[in-house]
Amino acid sequence: MITARGLTKRYGSTVAVDDLSFDVQDGVVTGFLGPNGAGKSTTMRMIIGLDHPTDGTVAIDGTPYRDLRWPLREVGALLDAKAVHPGRSARSHLRAIALANKIPLARVDEVLDIVGLTAVAGRKVGKFSLGMSQRLGIAGALLGDPKVLLFDEPVNGLDPEGIAWVRQLLKGLAAEGRTIFLSSHLMSEMAQTATDLVVIGRGRLIADTTVEDFVSSHTVPTVEVRSADQVALADALRATGAEVAPAADDALSVTKVDAPRIGEVALAAGIALHELTPVRASLEEVFMEMTSDAQEYATSAPITEDPA
Amino acid sequence: MTALSLDPGTDHGRAGLTEAIRSEWAKLRSVRSTWISLTIIVVAGLGFAALFSALIASNWKHSSPLDRAQFDPVRISQAGSFISQIVVGVLGALVVTSEYANGSIRTTFAALPRRTTVVAAKAIVTGVVLLIVTELTAFASFFVSQAVLLASGGKQLPAGATLMTQIKAGVIPVLSITASGVPMALLRTGLYLTLMGVLAVGLGFLLRSTTATISLYVVFLLVIPILIQLLPSSIREPIQPYLPSNLGVAMETVGSKQTDFAGVLLDAWPATAVIVAYAALVLAAGATLLSRRDA
Repeated sequence: MITARGLTKRYGSTVAVDDLSFDVQDGVVTGFLGPNGAGKSTTMRMIIGLDHPTDGTVAIDGTPYRDLRWPLREVGALLDAKAVHPGRSARSHLRAIALANKIPLARVDEVLDIVGLTAVAGRKVGKFSLGMSQRLGIAGALLGDPKVLLFDEPVNGLDPEGIAWVRQLLKGLAAEGRTIFLSSHLMSEMAQTATDLVVIGRGRLIADTTVEDFVSSHTVPTVEVRSADQVALADALRATGAEVAPAADDALSVTKVDAPRIGEVALAAGIALHELTPVRASLEEVFMEMTSDAQEYATSAPITEDPA
Repeated sequence: MTALSLDPGTDHGRAGLTEAIRSEWAKLRSVRSTWISLTIIVVAGLGFAALFSALIASNWKHSSPLDRAQFDPVRISQAGSFISQIVVGVLGALVVTSEYANGSIRTTFAALPRRTTVVAAKAIVTGVVLLIVTELTAFASFFVSQAVLLASGGKQLPAGATLMTQIKAGVIPVLSITASGVPMALLRTGLYLTLMGVLAVGLGFLLRSTTATISLYVVFLLVIPILIQLLPSSIREPIQPYLPSNLGVAMETVGSKQTDFAGVLLDAWPATAVIVAYAALVLAAGATLLSRRDA
């Protein structure tokens, strides 16, 4: 479990991470969501002791990262897939990391196999595509067989097949009881991979919840309706307390009553329904809505660029 | 994924200097720039020793008495160290700054959160590798140089004779490895180059950028000694013996205080102590700053 309490990072007068408190639970994939520049990477760097928090604490199963005796065997992190010496082979790169934490070198070939880079293990990393680099970064994170894994935008540069593979891998790792903390600015990615969700905007915590609750609590259930007589139906619905607004293609967008009730109202009024569609906002829309304040604020007082 | 027999609880101790040194050695030998640098040190050492010895021998008859009087068979054998002092600086700098340039320094610190351990490991690995290569080069260059001099009309200096008596007799003196002061002068040549490489490691941690580190290194080593010539001797002369390049010359010199083109030099061992102090100070400064900074 990762525990952040009052985590704050200031650069001069700029606040990159502002009083962030959250828990990342074992056994699930927790998405870490926020627009670019929200402070995701800074937070991740603080979790693994690279950046010093201005204030607050973050611990791995109760221990600050810097006090871990064999850090890579407890926490694996992929922060920047391109952060490797371009002149070194994939295998040499992983061997150097393994030696630093006394990880058996046989494990290097194991993780190369897991990420499917065995065939190119001897090739210089500088010649790798971004997708191959992401796989190498994942291999590096898995090297110490850690219980806690952090991934910063791991699907960047991967082809659809690669993305599907990462999703399966992360879910599999979570199913083994590991703690998976996955950052992304892509909602769709979270919807398909994560169970829990930590959302930040402009360094502040916006939500610490589950993907399901996040969507349902931040969206108003809406039903799109088409009928033989839209005007009469709108009047009839308003009379029962519904809110009705015009939607695209002459449809009505109805809130505050559910689909069965709309059907009953239409039947009672003798209006034939042509369409009755419950609309559920996507995670993407909820996120845009949620973080729009943070983003607007960011444009007037720019926060530090998140180093990718 | 197969579970690994890597329970952190079963392996006592913690990731420390031993692991850091193993990792740094693996990194150092797995990039080409290391081998290129070390090759240049060896080739420059042997090549300049042979070339300069041959040039001096072939021009001996036409050389002025002053040129002859200044001839030092040890110094000439170590002519390549003038190139190598730059190369060791580049190698030492890159050991650190290449990791900052590509971001892999974060992987290094994630594995070893006690950053002073990383500084120590990089200094030790760079130092040991350089010591082996520069010492071997220093001694091999001496043998090459004396062999070339001997083959070009030089005569082995008899035991008890001084360089000057043989030079005044018009004969190129050739030194034996057992001649007084020679082994120590060669040993110190390797030591000088090694310590400068280690100093560059510390400078790399201080400055983090390859360009800044190598530039500053070259400025201190080569530019300041030239620039300082503009100053009046009352200011210049107290500073000159402490410039790294002059300390290097002092370390490579057989015997005691000599007047050289660089002015008055320190004695060889005090000069060595000053270079050790420089390297230690820069490393300590780099390590101190590193622990405070974000990676």
